[in-house]
Amino acid sequence: MMSSFLFRAMDARAGIFLALMAAVIILVPVGNLLVPETSPFHVPTYAVTLMGKYLTYALLALAVDLVWGYCGILSLGHAAFFALGGYAMGMYLMRQIGTRGVYGDPLLPDFMVFLNWQELPWYWYGFDMFWFAALMVLLVPGLLAFVFGWFAFRSRVTGVYLSIITQALTYALLLAFFRNDMGFGGNNGLTDFKDILGFDIQADTTRAGLFAASGLALVVCFLICRSVTRSKLGKVLVAVRDAESRTRFLGYRVEHYKLFVWTLSAMMAGVAGALYVPQVGIINPGEFAPANSIEVVIWVAVGGRATLVGAVLGAVLVNFAKTWFTAALPDIWLFALGGLFVFVTLFLPKGIVGTLSDGWTALRQRRISSDFGEGSGDPPSQAPQSPGAPANVPPPGPAVSRAGAAHPQPAE
Amino acid sequence: MTRATSLLYLDGVSVAFDGFKALNDLSLTIDPGEMRAIIGPNGAGKTTMMDVITGKTRPDSGEVYFSGAIDLTSEDEAAIAELGIGRKFQKPTVFESHTVWDNLELALKAPRGPFSTLFHVITGAEKTRIENLLELIRLTDKSSELAANLSHGQKQWLEIGMLLAQDPKLLLVDEPAAGMTDAETAETADLLKDIAKDHSVVVVEHDMDFVRSLDVKVTVLHEGSVLAEGSLDHVSADERVVEVYLGR
Amino acid sequence: MSCLKSLFVFLCLQISLMVGLAGPANAQSDSETLRPLINELAEGKFAETERQIGALVATGDPIVAPALEALSAGDLYVRKSDGQVFIAEKDGKQFKLTDPLTLEAQGEAGRREVKKIKVNNKLRRVIRSALGSLTLMAPDPKVRIAAAEAVFKAKDPGSIEALDTAIAAEQDANVLEVMQQARAAAVLNSDLEEAEKIAAVEILSEMGNREALSLLIGVRSSSEGAVQGAAAAAVTKIEKSIAAWDAAQNIWYGISLGSVLLLAAIGLAITFGVMGVINMAHGEMVMIGAYTTFVVQDLIRTSMPELFDYSLFIALPLAFLTAGVIGIAIERGVIRWLYGRPLETLLATWGISLILQQAVRSIFGPTNREVGNPDWMSGAFELGQMTITYNRMWIVVFALLVFAGLILVLKKTPFGLYTRAVTQNRRMAANMGIRTPWIDALTFGLGSGIAGIAGVALSQIDNVSPNLGQGYIIDSFMVVVFGGVGNLWGTLVGAMTLGVVNKFLEPYAGAVLGKIFVLVFIILFIQKRPRGLFALKGRAVEA
Repeated sequence: MMSSFLFRAMDARAGIFLALMAAVIILVPVGNLLVPETSPFHVPTYAVTLMGKYLTYALLALAVDLVWGYCGILSLGHAAFFALGGYAMGMYLMRQIGTRGVYGDPLLPDFMVFLNWQELPWYWYGFDMFWFAALMVLLVPGLLAFVFGWFAFRSRVTGVYLSIITQALTYALLLAFFRNDMGFGGNNGLTDFKDILGFDIQADTTRAGLFAASGLALVVCFLICRSVTRSKLGKVLVAVRDAESRTRFLGYRVEHYKLFVWTLSAMMAGVAGALYVPQVGIINPGEFAPANSIEVVIWVAVGGRATLVGAVLGAVLVNFAKTWFTAALPDIWLFALGGLFVFVTLFLPKGIVGTLSDGWTALRQRRISSDFGEGSGDPPSQAPQSPGAPANVPPPGPAVSRAGAAHPQPAE
Repeated sequence: MTRATSLLYLDGVSVAFDGFKALNDLSLTIDPGEMRAIIGPNGAGKTTMMDVITGKTRPDSGEVYFSGAIDLTSEDEAAIAELGIGRKFQKPTVFESHTVWDNLELALKAPRGPFSTLFHVITGAEKTRIENLLELIRLTDKSSELAANLSHGQKQWLEIGMLLAQDPKLLLVDEPAAGMTDAETAETADLLKDIAKDHSVVVVEHDMDFVRSLDVKVTVLHEGSVLAEGSLDHVSADERVVEVYLGR
Repeated sequence: MSCLKSLFVFLCLQISLMVGLAGPANAQSDSETLRPLINELAEGKFAETERQIGALVATGDPIVAPALEALSAGDLYVRKSDGQVFIAEKDGKQFKLTDPLTLEAQGEAGRREVKKIKVNNKLRRVIRSALGSLTLMAPDPKVRIAAAEAVFKAKDPGSIEALDTAIAAEQDANVLEVMQQARAAAVLNSDLEEAEKIAAVEILSEMGNREALSLLIGVRSSSEGAVQGAAAAAVTKIEKSIAAWDAAQNIWYGISLGSVLLLAAIGLAITFGVMGVINMAHGEMVMIGAYTTFVVQDLIRTSMPELFDYSLFIALPLAFLTAGVIGIAIERGVIRWLYGRPLETLLATWGISLILQQAVRSIFGPTNREVGNPDWMSGAFELGQMTITYNRMWIVVFALLVFAGLILVLKKTPFGLYTRAVTQNRRMAANMGIRTPWIDALTFGLGSGIAGIAGVALSQIDNVSPNLGQGYIIDSFMVVVFGGVGNLWGTLVGAMTLGVVNKFLEPYAGAVLGKIFVLVFIILFIQKRPRGLFALKGRAVEA
C-alpha cells in the first residue's frame, strides 16, 4: 500500500523536476566548495545562502499551494506556521550559543539576562537537544493548525472569511511575539547564532550543507504533496475546492479532509521556516507580518496554482526578481510586486505552469485529433484548473458577460 | 403510516426563514422500495424539504426519521449520505475539473475517511462497477473527458450515475428532466423506473408529462405542506390542486 | 513641618507669579512701594510689628507672603549696615541672603552683619491668618481658588479662621465650594469637636474625587468613633462613585475607539458588505484621505493661513472626491473583471494597495507628515471626573454623522434604491433599466469616498504616513465580519462593541494583549456564528 502510495508520485513531469533538483543540490555546493574562486563556475557563499533561502521559500509556497491550489483554502496566515517553525529552530540555535553570548550566561540567552530573568522559562526546556527542536518544528505549527482548523472547518468558515481570520491569526501572533515578556526576544527576535549540530554556522561547508538540506526537504515535501494530490484523497480535495457541499452529499466529511491537508501544509511551512532561520541568521516577529503571507500567495499564483512545480517556480522567480529589484531599483519593487498581483489575477489566472501546460494539452489534442485519437487511454489525472474559479466562470477579459453566475452577491 | 415500517418519515416539519414559512407542518412517509413523485408550484417547499432530509437545513420543529429509527435531524450531510440517502441537485452539480471517470470513482461506495482515500488503490471490482455505470448512463466514450465539457443533459446523467455509484437506499432526485430534450426526458424516465426496481426514489419535478410517464404515487406540495396525495389522475382532479396550479 | 512650610512658600510664590503675569508693570511698582514697609518690620517691638504686618496685609498684594512666612519661621533678618531686610538661610558661618520681594539671591553676610527679627507665638498666629486672608481674599478668583487648594493640600488647622472669614465674604459659588472643601480638610486635621468633623466628612464625601478619597482614608485610620464611621461610609461611597466614573471613562474611550473603527470600517461595510467585494486597498483609501488633508493644510498654510480653522471642512469633500475617483478607477480597471471570484479580488486589491502605498511614499516621502489640529479640535474639558478631549469628541460625532448620512443615502435616495436592487437581484435590476455596471462603480466609489473622509478624521489622531491604512485594514475587516456582513447597523454595533471591549481589557491585560484577546475572541466568535452578529438568515443557496 505504502509503495503504491509513493509510486504514484512519479511520472515524467515529476522526473524532470527531481532530476533538476538533484543537479542543483549537487552542483551548487560543489561549485562553492570545490571549484576554485578564480573559476567562472565558482559559486560564492552569499549566492549559496541566497539560493538556500529561495529553496525554503519554495517549500513554503508548496505548502500554500497544497491548501490553496488543491483544496481552495486561501491561507493568508501561512507565515505564522513558517515563523513558528523558524522560532523552534531559533530556540535550538540560541541554546547552542552557551557561554559565548555577550553576558556569557551558560543557561539563559542574552536577551533574558538583559531583561533580568532569573531562570529559563519552561517552554525553553528541551530546545538544547536537536531532535526535540526538530520535533517541535513539526509539532508546534501542526498543533496550532490542527486546533485552528478544527474550530474553523467544523463551523464551516470558508472562502474569504477563512482568509481573513487566518490573517487575524498571524496578526495576533505578530503582536504577541513583539512582547518582551513572551520570552522570545521581543522586537529583536533571536539572533547571533554560533553553530548548528556542532558546525560553525558561518562556515562555507555548513552553508552548503544547509543548502543541500533545504533542497532535500523540498524534494521530499514535493514527493509527499505529489502522492497526496494524485491519490483519491487528492481528488476529494479538488472536489471540495470546486463544489464543497456536493462533496458533503457524497458522504465525505469535508472538515476532516481540510483539517488533514491544512495540518500537513502547516507542518511543511514549519520545516521551511526551520531551514530558513539558520541560513539568514535571524528570526524576529516581522516574519509573522500578514503582508508576508499574502506575498507567498502571489508566488504560487505566478507559478501556477494547483501545479506543484508552479509553486516552486513561482517562489524562486518572484524572489529572484525581488532580490534584483531591491538592489537595483528599490523604489520600483513595490510597484512591480503590486503590479504582479494585479497582472496575474487578471491575465494569468492559471500562472506560468498552468498556462504552458494548457497550451501543451491543446497542442497535443490537436495532434491526437488529426491522428484520429489513439492512445489517450488513461484518464488525465491532473487537469490544470484555476481554483476558486470553477470552470463555468468565463475567463476574465473585456468580453465577460456580467449576466452569468459570476455576480457580486452579499454573503447570505 | 407508521414510523417503524417506513423508510423515510417526516412528521410536522416546519422551517422558517426570516418569518417566511418554507415548510409548514409537513408530514410525509415513503415506504421501502417505493417511488414517489413530488410536484408543486415554485416556492412550495420542495427543495427545502430535500435540504431538511439531507441535513443541510435543520427544521425548527418536527421529526425526520430514516429507516424508522434514525433521527436525521441530529446528523450532518456526510453522515446522512453514508446512511444511504443520495441526492441529485436541481442544478446539475458535478466536479467539473475532474474527469467523468473520477467523478464516478469519487461517488463509488467505499470508505470515506481521509486516510482510507489517501492509501486507496482502485480494485478490479471497482473498475468493473464504474464501467457498468458508464454504460448505463451512456458516457463510456466520455470517460476521460472533463465533466466541465459535458452537455447539460450529460451532466444530469452523470449526476444520476454518481447517485447510483453511492448505492443508496433512498434517492432524492431534484428535477432530473430540467433542460433536457423530449427524447432525453423519456430516456431519463426509463432510467429512473429502472433504478426504482431496487431502490426507493423520491423525484421532484415540474414537468407533468415526465411525472405521468413515471406512473407513480404523487404528492402535491403547496406553501410548505401536503395539499393532496394519490395517483396523478386523482390529484389533478382535486379542485384545490387545480386552483393552486392555475391560479384564481 | 518645614516641608509644609516650604510648600506653602512655593505656592505663594506661584500665586505671586500668577499675579505678576496678570500685570507686570503693576507688580513692579508695588514691589518698590512695598519695600519700605518690609524694611519697617525690623523696627520696634512686637506690638508695632503686629501693626506693620497689618499694613502689609492691607496692601492686598500676595507678593509680601514670603516675607511674612519667613518672619513667622524666624528666617527674616535685617542687615545692620543699611537696614535692609532679607530672608536669610544659615550656611556654615555665613548667611545666604534672599530678597524678600523678588526672591532673588543677594549674596552673603557674616553672622555679625545681620540681626534676626524677633517673633513670638502671638505674631505667628497673626501672620498665619494674615497670610491666609491675604490670598484667600485676593481680588482674582483664580488666586482665591489656588489659595484654597493650597490649604486643602496643607490641611493646616490654623487656616480655618482665615477661611471662615473668606467664606463669609465669598460671592463666587465655585470659589466658595473649593474653600469649603479646604476648610473641611483643615477641620479634619484639627482638634475641633466631632460634629464639626462629621460635617467636614460630609463635604468631602460630596467632593467625591481621588484627593477626597485619600484624605478620607487617612481620616478613617487616624480617627475613632462617629468620625471614623462617617469617614468609612464616605470612603465606600466615593470608591463606588470613582469606580462608576472609571467605567464611564472607559466606556467613553471605548466609544471613541469604536468611532475610529466605525469610520475605518464603514466604507468597507459597503464594498464588502453590500457588494461582496473584498477590497484590501481600503486602508489606502483612508490614507489618501489623510494625505488630502495634509495637502489642503499645506496649501492653506502657504497662501491663506486665516482659513486654517476651516481646513478640515475644505478637506472633507476633496478627500471624498479623491478617494472616490480612485475607487471608481480601481473598480472599472480591475475589480469588475473579477466579480464572483472573491479570492482573486482580494489578491488584486492587495496588489493595488502596495502600489498606492509606494506611490504615496514616492510623492510625499516615507516619513510622517504633519497634519495640524484646528483650534476647535484641540484641548479638553471635564465632565464630572472624566476628561474628554475635543478631537475625540468631534470624531465620535463625525463618525455617527457619517453613519447616519450613509444610512440615509442607501434608504432614501434613488441611488440607494438602485444599489439595493442590484445587490438583491442583478439580472432583474438590469432588465428594469438600471445600468448595473455604473451602480457597481458608484457604490464602490461611495465606499472608497467614505474611507477618504474617514482619513480626514483619522489624520487628526494618527500619524499620517504611507502605512496609515495598513494599521486599519485588519481591524476594519474584523468589525465588518463581527457585525455581520451586509448590515450597516451590525457594523455600528460591531465597532462600538469591539472598541469598548478593547478598552475594558486594556487595564487588565495591557494594550497589546488586550488586542490579541479581541482578535482571538473574534476568531472564536466567527466559528460560532460564521455570518456575524446580525446575520441575515435565508435559504442558503449554494451553487
